[in-house]
Amino acid sequence: MKLKKVLCMMLASVMVIGAAACGSGDGGKDDTPADNPPTEQDDNQEDTQEPADSGEEDPGDDAQGGAAGGTLKVAAVETAYGQDMWKEVCAAFEASHEGVTVELTIDKKLEDIITTEMKSGVFPDVIMRAVGAESGLTETFIKDNNLVDLTDVLSMTVPGESGTVGDKILPGFVENSIANPYGDGKTYLMPMFYGPCGLFYNQGLFTEKGWTVPETWDEMWELGDKAKAEGIALFTYPTAGYFDAFFYALLHESMGNDKFQEALKYGEGIWDTPEATAVFDIIEKLASYTESTTPANANDNDFQKNQQLVLDNKALFMPNGNWVIGEMAEAPRAEGFEWGFTALPAVTAGGERASYSFFEQVWMPAGAENQDLGKEFIAFLYSDAAAEIFAKSGAIQPIQGMTDKLDGDNKLYYSIYDTGAVAVMDAFATTDPVEGITARSTFFDPINSLVTGDKTKDDWVSQIKSDSDQLRAALK
Amino acid sequence: MKKKRRGGFIAACVTPAIVLFVIFMIIPTIDVFRMSLYKWGGYTAEKTFVGIENFTKLAKNPKFFQAFQNTILLIVVVTLVTFCLALIFAAILSREKIKGQNFFRIVFYIPNILSVVVISAIFSAIYDPNQGLMNSILNLFRNGKEPILWLGSTRLVIYSVAIAMIWQALGYYMVMYMASMANVPLSLYESASLEGAGRIKQFFSITLPLVWTNIRTTLTFFIISTINMSFLMVKAMTNGGPDGASNVFLSYMYQEAYTNSSYGYGMAIGVAVFVFSFALAGILNAVTKRDEIEF
Repeated sequence: MKLKKVLCMMLASVMVIGAAACGSGDGGKDDTPADNPPTEQDDNQEDTQEPADSGEEDPGDDAQGGAAGGTLKVAAVETAYGQDMWKEVCAAFEASHEGVTVELTIDKKLEDIITTEMKSGVFPDVIMRAVGAESGLTETFIKDNNLVDLTDVLSMTVPGESGTVGDKILPGFVENSIANPYGDGKTYLMPMFYGPCGLFYNQGLFTEKGWTVPETWDEMWELGDKAKAEGIALFTYPTAGYFDAFFYALLHESMGNDKFQEALKYGEGIWDTPEATAVFDIIEKLASYTESTTPANANDNDFQKNQQLVLDNKALFMPNGNWVIGEMAEAPRAEGFEWGFTALPAVTAGGERASYSFFEQVWMPAGAENQDLGKEFIAFLYSDAAAEIFAKSGAIQPIQGMTDKLDGDNKLYYSIYDTGAVAVMDAFATTDPVEGITARSTFFDPINSLVTGDKTKDDWVSQIKSDSDQLRAALK
Repeated sequence: MKKKRRGGFIAACVTPAIVLFVIFMIIPTIDVFRMSLYKWGGYTAEKTFVGIENFTKLAKNPKFFQAFQNTILLIVVVTLVTFCLALIFAAILSREKIKGQNFFRIVFYIPNILSVVVISAIFSAIYDPNQGLMNSILNLFRNGKEPILWLGSTRLVIYSVAIAMIWQALGYYMVMYMASMANVPLSLYESASLEGAGRIKQFFSITLPLVWTNIRTTLTFFIISTINMSFLMVKAMTNGGPDGASNVFLSYMYQEAYTNSSYGYGMAIGVAVFVFSFALAGILNAVTKRDEIEF
């Protein structure tokens, strides 16, 4: 009996101690790196932890080389370009700015790591995460008005160089609705790595069959009929989400820039204009030319099966970005396969041909502590030294002279704008969160249903119209 | 005096468990209810109180009702089919003498120990429109007509998910039923067969009434696990697609809370799910109430 009592008490006290241990773990923010997956980054952070403590004691009074000393917290998402380039760039920044320590958090699931701290009010100073990610991290900060105005970074001198950041960035990349989400002429998101999106195809197949790449949509349909006779579908797409770049470019081609900007703000009646109708008609027709099994694989698991259709000569074109080449590097392919890349065909003969330019963004949350140092860091990202490090990993920034330094495949993609294609960079305007409505579920997901015939074009367009009304009312 | 000491001792033993339960269960649940009254992006500390606005929006949202419909369909289809098959297989495996009994037991149970990601990979191969098992078999009878898009058609996709869920859950419930069937005394069956009752009569008059308590418990399990498993399956297999046709309660909640900057709205969906599953489990419990039969 006594033994039983003692046992009970022991078990209860174990529970108390366990609970107490959990409690103290939550409080200490130094514990967060322990939550990270065990990558090299942990070692990196441990290394930077010691000087970090000493750095925090004298925040920014001994300016050296134009920058204040201190600790800068940078959070970047790990993409196909890898971690190393970020580590190198941070090291280069530390080397050129005495007394500065950069604490880098880099992970594929960045949100999982930084969210806990952010909820308790501790923010990274600089965040590299593009809009359009599934987590919607960047969109949430935009919608909550939680960004630092970075317009003054444009007039800052690039560290170690003579020109300003604004002069160095290619035209168009800071004058669009992604970089200026509120349309007030201020820049909140700075453009980082970019890549043209367009239609990818097998150049080898075109050469073999003697086909030419269509320049208008009419030529596209003709080619579609020719290909169909040989058992090849004209079109496929990885997932419906890939239609965003496609849709923006097509809209721009059909509407011209002014109406396009209006459409991005869900302008009243814009979807009833003949230009918009032309776009819907093209997509409806394209759906009928789409490889019939595409929607079955158009999900995050199986989308590579759709990309494989192009490699196997079962479909001619797919909308994509240049990352597809790396993604499909190991995949088997038809004999004589060679990647080809083109802007969208023109809506009318001799009309505009457009290619959407996808770019990632770097920004600062309003809660950032070291704002000056953060801006200095962002300016540094546009220096030749940093650009060279990024380019080594294949990450190309939109800065002057960068395309001249490219070679091989990369030159083909980045020179698309030299051949007359118009670069489109905007996206739908920022709204306050509208519950139950996203651009993707309104505009792009229904394309799957168009292909399977479960929805008609009219269903789709009327959904776009009614959702646009709600989004317009919530515009920033 | 002794009684008082005993009470103190019990309190000392129970308090830690209660404290933990309150901290990790009660408070978060209350928090879900509280958050459903706010408009909140989910990443920062800024929230706005909006009262029941999230719920009124929810009541008008066709996508929520689509997810609701899908969830109910899955609960009904998966529960009914799994329940019937599991009972039949359990009865056969525990009552009949067939060769390789243990083998079948293991084969049926294996899907249950596989992770959902593995199951979704298996089924995405089975459902592949061109080389998949399903279409290959059906093509024997369909003579090369257009392939069926199991995961691509908005009308079929939810049934495709249901098949995968049934395959996954069958073994688990079968083992549960077998365990309680093993407790039914053999003498009952012996006397029943002496009286001239056939196998099927025995199943309905002896086996079923005697495992009823167990069946009632599993019905509640069915509801809870279908709501949870359908999220995992949908997330891994289709992510709600095509065109939102396979969204269920929790996948829609996830989509709103974590990808549409509408955390408060997501929590409102959470509240709806909470109330719905509680109510459904309560109703099922009341409907299936029988006097317990002792043996």
